[in-house]
Amino acid sequence: MASASTSKYNSHSLENESIKRTSRDGVNRDLSEAVPRLPGETRITDKEVIYICPFNGPIKGRVYITNYRLYLRSLETDSALLDVPLGVISRIEKMGGATSRGENSYGLDITCKDMRNLRFALKQEGHSRRDMFEILTRYAFPLAHSLPIFAFLNEEKFNVDGWMVYNPVEEYRRQGLPNHHWRITFINKCYELCDTYPPLLVVPFRATDEDLKRVATFRSRNRIPVLSWIHPENKTVIVRCSQPLVGMSGKRNKDDEKYLDVIRETNRQISKLTIYDARPSVNAVANKATGGGYESDDAYHNTELFFLDIHNIHVMRESLKKVKDIVYPNVEESHWLSSLESTHWLEHIKLILTGAIQVADKVSSGRSSVLVHCSDGWDRTAQLTSLAMLMLDSFYRSIEGFEILVQKEWISFGHKFASRIGHGDKNHADADRSPIFLQFIDCVWQMSKQFPTAFEFNERFLMTILDHLYSCRFGTFLYNCESARERQKVTERTASLWSLINSNKDTFKNPFYTKEINRVLYPVASMRHLELWVNYYIRWNPRIKQQPNPVEQRYMELLALRDEYIKRLEELQLANSAKLSDPSTSPSSPSQMLPHVQTHF
Amino acid sequence: MFSLKPPRPTFRSYLLPPPQAEDKFDSEPKIKKLEPVLLPGEIVVNEVSFVRKCIATDTSQYDLWGKLICSNFKISFVTDDPMPLQKFHYRNLLLGEHDVPLTCIEQIVAVNDHKRKQKVLGPNQKLKFNPTELIIYCKDFRIVRFRFDESGPESAKKVCLAIAHYSQPTDLQLLFAFEYVGKKYHSSASTPNGLPAGGGPGGAQKTPLFEAYSDWDREVKRTGASGWRVSSVNEGYMISTCLPEYFVVPSSLADQDLKTFSHSFVGRRMPLWSWSHPNGSALVRTALVKDLQQRKIDQRICNAITKSHPQRSDVHKSDLDKTLPNIQEIQAAFVKLKHLCVNEPFEETEERWLSSLESTRWLEYVRAFLRHSAELVYTLDSRRVSVVLQEEEGRDLSCVVASLVQVMLDPYFRTIPGFQSLVQKEWVMAGHQFLDRCNHLKRSEKESPLFLLFLDATWQLLDQFPAAFEFSETYLAVLGDSTRISLFGTFLFNSPHQRVKQSTEFAISRNIQLGDEKGLKFPSVWDWSLQFTAKDRTLFHNPLYVGRSAPCVRNSSGKAFKRTKRNCSSTLRGMPASLRNGLLGDQDSLPRRNSLILQVRPEPPPHAGGPDGGLERFFGEWLCRPADLHGLLLPRLSGAHIKLWKLCYFRWVPEAQIDRGGFITAFHRLSLLADEVDVLSRTLRQHRAGPLEAAYAELGQSRMYFRARGPQDASGTPAFLSSSFPFSPVGNLCRRSISGTPLSAFLSGAKTWLSTETLAPED
Repeated sequence: MASASTSKYNSHSLENESIKRTSRDGVNRDLSEAVPRLPGETRITDKEVIYICPFNGPIKGRVYITNYRLYLRSLETDSALLDVPLGVISRIEKMGGATSRGENSYGLDITCKDMRNLRFALKQEGHSRRDMFEILTRYAFPLAHSLPIFAFLNEEKFNVDGWMVYNPVEEYRRQGLPNHHWRITFINKCYELCDTYPPLLVVPFRATDEDLKRVATFRSRNRIPVLSWIHPENKTVIVRCSQPLVGMSGKRNKDDEKYLDVIRETNRQISKLTIYDARPSVNAVANKATGGGYESDDAYHNTELFFLDIHNIHVMRESLKKVKDIVYPNVEESHWLSSLESTHWLEHIKLILTGAIQVADKVSSGRSSVLVHCSDGWDRTAQLTSLAMLMLDSFYRSIEGFEILVQKEWISFGHKFASRIGHGDKNHADADRSPIFLQFIDCVWQMSKQFPTAFEFNERFLMTILDHLYSCRFGTFLYNCESARERQKVTERTASLWSLINSNKDTFKNPFYTKEINRVLYPVASMRHLELWVNYYIRWNPRIKQQPNPVEQRYMELLALRDEYIKRLEELQLANSAKLSDPSTSPSSPSQMLPHVQTHF
Repeated sequence: MFSLKPPRPTFRSYLLPPPQAEDKFDSEPKIKKLEPVLLPGEIVVNEVSFVRKCIATDTSQYDLWGKLICSNFKISFVTDDPMPLQKFHYRNLLLGEHDVPLTCIEQIVAVNDHKRKQKVLGPNQKLKFNPTELIIYCKDFRIVRFRFDESGPESAKKVCLAIAHYSQPTDLQLLFAFEYVGKKYHSSASTPNGLPAGGGPGGAQKTPLFEAYSDWDREVKRTGASGWRVSSVNEGYMISTCLPEYFVVPSSLADQDLKTFSHSFVGRRMPLWSWSHPNGSALVRTALVKDLQQRKIDQRICNAITKSHPQRSDVHKSDLDKTLPNIQEIQAAFVKLKHLCVNEPFEETEERWLSSLESTRWLEYVRAFLRHSAELVYTLDSRRVSVVLQEEEGRDLSCVVASLVQVMLDPYFRTIPGFQSLVQKEWVMAGHQFLDRCNHLKRSEKESPLFLLFLDATWQLLDQFPAAFEFSETYLAVLGDSTRISLFGTFLFNSPHQRVKQSTEFAISRNIQLGDEKGLKFPSVWDWSLQFTAKDRTLFHNPLYVGRSAPCVRNSSGKAFKRTKRNCSSTLRGMPASLRNGLLGDQDSLPRRNSLILQVRPEPPPHAGGPDGGLERFFGEWLCRPADLHGLLLPRLSGAHIKLWKLCYFRWVPEAQIDRGGFITAFHRLSLLADEVDVLSRTLRQHRAGPLEAAYAELGQSRMYFRARGPQDASGTPAFLSSSFPFSPVGNLCRRSISGTPLSAFLSGAKTWLSTETLAPED
């Protein structure tokens, strides 16, 4: 009785899409195996298990494990219940011992990175659990077993190449660079200046490569201030970097000070350079103990410094954990709002958005150039610059523009995806893991919620990006920086997520999108408007799962209706003109042409 | 009640009003212009010139100079100055841009900041100081401020006292509607029925008022209720003064029985039929039996209800007083919500916003009403058992629950005429005490925003099923606002009888010939043309809504499919037979959740696991099927789904306004497309093969507020759209100025309003 509906309960976007996609991509679907397979995906094993669904109780099924996914079919209804890329697995635990009594007390508990847990009960006899545990561990955490990540085995072919989406020279040219204040330098071509920066950098025209080298010595991990974005009209810029190496003794560096002054001078409208330090001021001060710090007034004249109070990766990780506690498997009911508040997740979102708004506002209305950094300049800095750019530049609100933004500000500037996500790594408790990129996508979702017509992409686009942030099917988010990607020849050996998206663009389009070229978007970063992204964070709960967006659906219906009417109208016009030119043809009866055309709403 | 927080600017201009303003008053014609627009029967009570309406708290640069007028209907501020910073103003034909109806006033505070004194003004009070400032706290969360720095001190004081006096009348007949209607009757003496009953154009005639026998009869037939009849036993209010003259009762009860039984019920409010499910189970509401000894009467009534059920199923009684918050708790929650929403400074409430919102309990109560109603829907729909709502008097919580159950079960009530008829049936005629609950006479102990709670709960359903309702959230907000305009008979009285009694008295005192009429006919709120132009009224329409008979393209294949309809429909529902025939082929093309169409079920629903398990399953199964928008709707009740109705509660808060954003921007795009489709379909219908542009030129016919200017109009988001649209916070909630980029100002917020604690209360 219950099982009839369970297949619906567990079907979800990722699963549905990958099934659809595989068929669209012309992937073999071996019916005898009953598992969809990507080219290059190989079956490893299958096993009869009891899936302990947190919403519908135990369900008998057969689990199939490939080198890419864990797939579960119900034995009773022969329908797919789970289709989980192994990349989302964060931790596999054995529950119950050989002597455990009680039904379904012996098996595996799998913690996923995408806000859910999977539980399987297995038979105690015959090492069935040990086999499954070992195989899963091996393929979910290939790094520990000297196995390649699946993206390198994936043989999917797409008709567009996502790796071609981002070409830094083209993107800078789109921004009007180089110009007489800013130049493109290849000093980092071989990652000699900074191993976590991209090869191509935009720096002040007046700063020589020698200057850059000297500045690099005073910036954490040599991440010198470089241009991220230039305002097309007032020519103010957003510059990103890491913290200065001030240390306890309050060291100064004339080259760094001069370099910032050169950046300031590229903008003649305001006599000051604004520095946004993303951290809370206490943290910035504390960083002096480890050799870091911030730009003090006395050393850096003509600058004004603001702290944006955004917390570090550890705080964010703990916050997301709390979110999971209140939404999975059961949604906290009685004190939902105060529980949500106690996770502080939305508060962090608010601070990030507020920071980005300040950056955007300073550049756009304040006509002042802005320098953004945190400690290393690859987490909070990436959040702030990319969100500010999204607010300022409508180009980044298109599908390709957003891909370029992610590719540029996150991937090429060395957000440590490998460390933050832990692709293929078994160390689930690694202190380097943190949902920084997820937070960024959440902020984008909040913006798209406030401005439903401003983005070319829809919610599905954002969710697909997040799904493949973990899935390891594409090379897009692998490794920590460009130099590592180049060493691994990622672009040659893997497919890009953008290939998948750009070859199915219609699926990811927001029908309400209205292109507005010069519009700066200022979201309201108030708790009154920020919401938990229910469709993402609570998507596994069948009770919460939203219907397909009815507003979008209705719009699509109307679009189809319009096209049909236009077609009929054209036919009518054609018939009429034919009638005029050839009086011998008998006039077609009106009822024939117009069967029940009416729109009541 | 608002806490006393009379705002005071830290920066005050001591300059004289700009010379142009002086010039303005010198020239004769300009003075004439500064006259209020008065309605029939409206008189100016007092007025004062050289008043400044404050727009922002941190600067007086945007302030408007004009004349403050108190009439017997409203506070009017008349000015020549254009409104600064405002991009859009939704115009109410009864009110000027700066006007506040007296019944919308919550509290009046006079302030003298030189003497550092303030006073809350009650009726018939004296004021020992000359006010420099007047703050009007409105029931709809607005806060309006006037300054008298340049006005005559005595006239300023007089206006303040007049406003205080006229906004807190001691008698119902002092409410403006009486004066207005009296005037109307006098001016149209030849036609005593001068005012159309349901109110002239604007679709009001489509709204059954349930004042007449025929409306009830039609409703019984519409729902297909058998075993129920309309009773005239209360004609002339002979049995109960808080029941309608006509109501529906089980056929097995004779009028004589009703007369006998009525004595046992509080207020003689015996069981009233509300609605019948196509499966035969009925929704009934009743007051409590006064005396435990008379239990047998209760039993007899239940038996009669059982007899009226086709399957003779049992009756499920729901004691609302025991399961839902009471009216005082609801009022308390609303007051807290109001404080939270208008709180200044804005940033102060940001940090603990979510828990503060939770602690108002407003959302909890909205959820409680939705949950309880949904449970009763289960009882009616799935268990097929008649439901009796019990409440002490049966005219408060019952109104909310009875209406919500019907909105969820019957798609007719999700249309505009249907929703309006629901308000008539379950609120106005059922004797909801609008006079007391809206507190038109300022006796605060009886105030409770039950009607707003119902609108809020309806909004939750609209938010969750945006394509299931014919009306928009603007309609709901405007309807809520209309309860605070003392012109519509709809929201003025505690019962239909009170209208008859009070207006007859009034007519006699004014020498108005009533003829055969039972009391004066007041304008109905459903005559929307009194308040809004035809164009503005199009904002009430939800472009997402698909009527039952509309062709609808499901996917790009262009295949039309039929929206499910109810078989039980009689003349009022359903579509023309011709159309129905044309579309029957696709009947089963969609999975349905509409159990209503399953008229004949071979077997009773399984009850394994007791009724609670059944309820859980009912919800669970419904939720995992795609929603049939013309069938049963159930609310999602998790914390994440019950939201604050931002348009209603934040519309005056400038800091919360999303400029050129919010749902309205999607609504705008959708309207353009829907309009374009309309134009195309019209063109097709007219067989006109001529150029498309001709059809676009045909204005006036559009159902959409936003119109496409041509095929595939790709114009951007209009600058006047915001999350507050069609309302504007400018001048409606005195806040720091919001010129330029609002954000930088708010992000580093400094307190600009003086704390009121430093002001000593007078006396």
